[in-house]
Amino acid sequence: MSTTSPVRPAAPIVVQLLEAPFQPLERLAAWQRSLAAEGPDATSSAAESHFIGRVRPTTAAGEPLEALELEHYPGMTEAQLRSLAEACAARHGAGAVLVAHRVGRVRPGEAIVLVAVQADRRGPALRCVQELLEDLKHHAPFWKREWSGGRGTWVAGNTPL
Amino acid sequence: MTHPSVPPVHVRLFAGLREQAGWGERLIQLDARPGAQRTTAADLWRQLALDGGPGEEGAELPATVRVAINQAFAAPDSPLSPGDEVAFLPPITGG
Repeated sequence: MSTTSPVRPAAPIVVQLLEAPFQPLERLAAWQRSLAAEGPDATSSAAESHFIGRVRPTTAAGEPLEALELEHYPGMTEAQLRSLAEACAARHGAGAVLVAHRVGRVRPGEAIVLVAVQADRRGPALRCVQELLEDLKHHAPFWKREWSGGRGTWVAGNTPL
Repeated sequence: MTHPSVPPVHVRLFAGLREQAGWGERLIQLDARPGAQRTTAADLWRQLALDGGPGEEGAELPATVRVAINQAFAAPDSPLSPGDEVAFLPPITGG
């Protein structure tokens, strides 16, 4: 019944769903401090790649956006993010992974997602960040609703890469 | 005919599907009679007429709607067990 891989990577995976606005650089610094506190691991942290996604100021139809509302499936969303991150890290031989994602009402310009990956080389770090971002956009249960002119519209699909 | 001792299936809808149906959670008793065909997630979608208004029972589960059973993705033809949580998920738009 379990969907988790029997071979779990040793890399720590941190998943955070945030209901309030967050400062991605502060989150990143706190994550780096917590990893450093766990002890130096020179082979896993020579490279580190980050992605920060922010809410754009217009809707898909080009109207001014008041806010983006993020619905999720409590329990499944966290489990799915963790499982996607574990699988991605294992595929690329990456180390520690951080995924922070907003839920609720997010305003234009605010950070909506932060992905960070440590690895021993730039290739795995960069590839794992990009792949995990695409994975979570399509396979972690989140739904966006654009609010514009007081009306909410569910977003039909993801923006192109 | 239902067996009161058999736990119901917990059906959940999200986002646009929830608003279209007008409800987000519902408890459904499966047909637990001996010899009864096991209900699948796709059967439940048809029975609950989730693809249209009342009286439009029978519409098939669209390919764009994904199924989760007990909070893990599952095939639409997966048979359900009493006490399962089954969710219908419209197209995901995360990130």
